[in-house]
This record gives sequence, structure tokens and C-alpha cells, in this order.
Amino acid sequence: MGLNSNANEKIAFSLLTLATLIVTGFVLVILAYILLNGYGAISIEFLTQMPNRMMTAGGIFPAIVGTIALIIGSMLVALPLGVMAAIYLNEYAGESRTTWLIEMAINNLAGTPSVVFGLFGLALFVKYFDFGPSILSASLTLALLILPIIIRASEEALLTVPNEYRESSLALGVSKWQTIRYVVLPAAIPGIVTGSVLSIGRVAGETAPILFTGAAYFLPRLPDSIYSQFMALPYHLFVLATAGTNISETRSIQYGTALVLLIIVLGVNLVAVVIRRHYRNKLKI
Amino acid sequence: MTEAVQNVSQPQIEVQNLNLWYGEKQALKNVSMQISRNSVTALIGPSGCGKSTFIRCLNRMNDLIKNCRIEGKILIEGKDIYGPDVDVVELRKKVGMVFQKPNPFPMSIYDNVAYGPRIHGVNKKDLNGIVEQALRSAAIWEETSDRLKSSALSLSGGQQQRLCIARTLAVKPRIILFDEPTSALDPISTARIEDLIMNLKKDYTIVIVTHNMQQAARISDYTGFFLSGELIEFDQTRQIFHNPQEKSTEDYITGRFG
Repeated sequence: MGLNSNANEKIAFSLLTLATLIVTGFVLVILAYILLNGYGAISIEFLTQMPNRMMTAGGIFPAIVGTIALIIGSMLVALPLGVMAAIYLNEYAGESRTTWLIEMAINNLAGTPSVVFGLFGLALFVKYFDFGPSILSASLTLALLILPIIIRASEEALLTVPNEYRESSLALGVSKWQTIRYVVLPAAIPGIVTGSVLSIGRVAGETAPILFTGAAYFLPRLPDSIYSQFMALPYHLFVLATAGTNISETRSIQYGTALVLLIIVLGVNLVAVVIRRHYRNKLKI
Repeated sequence: MTEAVQNVSQPQIEVQNLNLWYGEKQALKNVSMQISRNSVTALIGPSGCGKSTFIRCLNRMNDLIKNCRIEGKILIEGKDIYGPDVDVVELRKKVGMVFQKPNPFPMSIYDNVAYGPRIHGVNKKDLNGIVEQALRSAAIWEETSDRLKSSALSLSGGQQQRLCIARTLAVKPRIILFDEPTSALDPISTARIEDLIMNLKKDYTIVIVTHNMQQAARISDYTGFFLSGELIEFDQTRQIFHNPQEKSTEDYITGRFG
């Protein structure tokens, strides 16, 4: 109170700067720590070989394959479903009690702990539909997990498309669906891509949902169909760090695995940035 | 183009006792009006008087608004556009609309104009001709012919509005509704659009909502004055501006309110 506004300004500025520095600092420390510890483990063999000698040597190739399979599988299901649901909610469903209930359900779904999704996937996909513990079951479970993220992101993206585009398209005697297909969706794609990429990070990193639905402790060979069990990077990391045959000896393999996981997620983010920029440029000038 | 012979004496647009409510609020009260072919009709009145609401009934853009209820009849070329068998999409092909804010799609100049015809299934080989014709009619061909592939958003506001007119023309409507088309433009762009509208009258029936009374006086054949949802006076523009029958019309055009 007794301080003049100048001093207040300085205090606020320093506090905000400090908070930003702390956050950035943590991220950098984590990245550096994993990079320094994992860097030594990375080699062509590490990326392309099967684990051997009870997972204390060899590579993590099957876990990389498994994680990529999960990303592709879950996105194939969740992306079209999520975008279509978002289109329905944003473009077709008016404001009604039902819409409100659906929105609430989606919000709750987003807040559900991932282990619950795992149990649900076990009950529904593994048991009831009898897909067994498999890439299919795990991908479907992860798809459910990321659906709310994709729906939210797509709805946000559709909301930012100016209403004038819709009106002027309709005024040209273009039907509602054609308007969405040819004007609204193209303008919303950058936003949809951004949201979807966030969910790819989730898919790559989640352990609990795949634990019950198909991730294997160790497999001597690669999965040969979507009905096979699989290894995945986050679970492999968990296994090496907690239940492996020789935890201290595999330390560098653990960090190597973490590093590969990180690189996959960052790589996907990079691809998304490129796609987004491509569409932005196409839309703007 | 179903009717082979058009009855010239019949008004192209005939509005009979139109009432419109937004929820509880009545926005149009018992409006009746006849608009003849190849004329320019200006609708004037203070903000919130219902003139924009009225024009949006003519291509059923009000359908998009929730809780909007309509009573009465609007006949376009003898057919009730609120009738049960009316295809709104077909109606809007026939009755085009240009909006207040220039709103080209975020696409190339060419694609903006080709958008409507393409979706309506025009042959690829006919498309170039249609686009050129539309851009010429909208008096923007000279400025854009060498950069059809560049983004429509790189054009100036006035150019964008003429592009939007070209986009509307490309669908080959017979009636064009202008909802305050120059209110976001500078005087020079406005003059160009006004010239354009007067030229378009040869081939189209035009209804324009405007805040600018000089504009109404300059370009229209008929003028309707709206106040609080009612059509107070509708007559030849000359009459309205030189010899208004209603006191409120006179007050408005002489600038006493609004």
C-alpha cells in the first residue's frame, strides 16, 4: 500500500519472471538430464535390435514398433470420430439440455484417471469383444482416452472459424454440409492438428491403459498382427526401472529408452508444426 | 428457370403481411411490399428498425437464427419461399447476398469466384469463362486478371467487396441482396460499388439496405423507410426524398433523428 506504483510494478515483474524461469528451468533440467544420461545408450543397434540377455543388453526395437503402432491405431480411430463429434456438436446440435449433457460427459471423460480407462478397456475390448490383450484392444482404449482432447480441440478450432464464412457460403446456395466440408473444415485444420498432436503425446506416454490391454513385459519377436501383444516404450521403461532382472546395470538403457520416447513425441510435434504452418500459409497470403 | 415465360407486369418479389419475431420480440410488423424486375430498391431507416432483418427474409438467412418465427408470405416469381416444398439451397442460388463486411474465403481470388459454380457441378472447362465473366461484371477483372492465384485476403477492402460481388454473380442469381455493402469502405471504394450496382440493374433485381441516405438517393429507383419494424413509406425514390407523405420519413431524411 505504502509502495508507489513503480515499486509495485517491479515486484510483480520480478515475481512473474521468476515463475517463468523456474518452469523453464525444470523443463531444461529434465531434458538435459535425460539427454546426458541416455545419449550413451543410443546407437543403431539400440534402435534396431531386440532386447537380449534378459533385457540387460540389446535394443528396444520392439518397444519402438509397439509405441508407433499404438499411435497410428489410436489416431485412426479417435481422429475421425472426434472431429465428426465436434462437427456435430458445434455445427449441428443447437443449445439444448442434451447438448449440455453431452458436453458434460466429454468433460468428465477428460478428467477420468487413465487407469480407469485401462480397466474399462480390459472389460470391454479384451474380454467382452474378445480382442484379447492386443494392439487392437490397447489402441481402442487409448483412443477413448484421447477422444475428449480431440473433440475439445476440434470444437475450439471450429469456433474460431468466422461465422461470415458460413453465412456467405450458405448465401451462395451451398448446403450446410458442403459449407462445412469446403470452407469451415479447411479453416479449422490448423487448430485440429494442434490438438491432435497433444493427444499423440498422451498415447505415446501412457502406461496404465495399456498395462491391462496388451502391453507385454517381454516378447521375443515383433507383433505380427493387430491381435498380437506388444511391447511399448513407457511400459518397457517401467519394467526396466522397477522389475527388470538387473536394475542398476540397465540404467543407461533406461535413460536411452526415455530419450527415444521423448524424441518420438518431439518429432511428432515438429511434424504438426510443419503441417500447421503449411495450412496457415495456404489460408493467409 | 422453370417458368418459360416471365410475366413482366407481375412483381418479382411480393411480400404480404410479413411479421417476424425473435423470441418474444417482434422485429417486423405487417410489412407488405412489391419489388419489380430489374429495379434497385433501397431500404433505409435507423439502426434496429428491421431493414436488415427484412432483407434476410428474402433469401431465408433468418432460418439460421434460433427462435426466429415468421408469419405472412413472401412470393418470389410467384412462389411462396416459405412454402413447404421449397428447397432453401435452390432459393439462395436464385437470390444472392452481399454482406456488410467484405468476407472473401481464405482461398485464392480464382477459387473464391469458382467456389459456388464448382459445388453446383459446373464443368471444369466452363469454369474459367464463368470466373472471368463474373470478375468483369463486378468490375474487378482488370485488377486481378494477372494474379488470380494469389490470396483473396491480399486485396484491399474495396476490392474484396467487389470480389464478393463477383462470387455472388458467378452463381447466376436473379436477385441480389446487398446488406449495407459499403459501410466498411472508404468513399472511393464506395463510389465504385455504387457504379457497379447501377450497372448490375440491367441484369438483376437489386435490394439494398443502407445507412447512407445519399446512397439511397443516388442509386435506387424505389426506397422503403423502416421504423421500429414497420414499413412506414415505400415509393419511388424521387417521391420519398422530395415529397415524403409521412412526417417520420421527412424527419429521418432531413436528419432530425436516426
